[in-house]
Amino acid sequence: MTLARKGRWTTLVGLVLLAAVYVRALAFTPIERTQGPAQKIYYIHVPAAIWTETAMILVGLASIFFLFLKDARLDSFAEASAEVGTAFATIVLTTGPIWGKPIWGTWWTWDARLTSTLFLFFLYIGYLLLRGAVADPGARARYAAVLGICGMVLVPFIHFSVYLFRTLHPMPIILKPSAPSLPGSMLATWGFSFAVFTVLYVGFVMQRYALARARQEVPHA
Amino acid sequence: MPETFPHNAGYMIAAYTVAAVILVAYALSLYRRTRGL
Repeated sequence: MTLARKGRWTTLVGLVLLAAVYVRALAFTPIERTQGPAQKIYYIHVPAAIWTETAMILVGLASIFFLFLKDARLDSFAEASAEVGTAFATIVLTTGPIWGKPIWGTWWTWDARLTSTLFLFFLYIGYLLLRGAVADPGARARYAAVLGICGMVLVPFIHFSVYLFRTLHPMPIILKPSAPSLPGSMLATWGFSFAVFTVLYVGFVMQRYALARARQEVPHA
Repeated sequence: MPETFPHNAGYMIAAYTVAAVILVAYALSLYRRTRGL
């Protein structure tokens, strides 16, 4: 079985499990008293946000190793992870404002967390545009690697921005030094959703990596 | 006395719909591009 085919099956499993996450989150997880049903957006927003940031960290790490080792497979992985990260970033930047409107009373505010996440999205778009704009494969990989490393450097700033600045965005309630502040049933739903987003990331990257490798072997594939 | 919650389920449904559309659309895009591999 080819890598692309394995990726398709992994993605299919991920999408079926995503349906199970929806059923569990919407029908079998309690409604939070102060925020109401809108709080359940958390179960898709936060896993997507974690994978948006992790995908860029992996782009940066692959880029660093690529600049030292000149292994084209690392460049292909960075390309794949960046495209998948862009899809997850789109989820973050749409579900976040949909949560913000009923809870904050506004779709958007230019606070540090939101603005830096939007900047990360633009970095993802810029990374993909750069790859499409440079014809020479060697130069394309080098330029993209530099931009990927810049994106990786931005990620810790995004995560700690809620500590560094006064922001409207809530503090982390799971990824923090102390124990998660969610009740057990809500934490289980979140954990299930995070696991499914992980499966989807892996399935997507397997397919996109196979496509990038095919394009390296046949440039117009 | 029954508990009352804010009536904002429409936002929840909108967010879940948007996320599903993005994920399925991207999965279909990858399927179309990698079909021959």
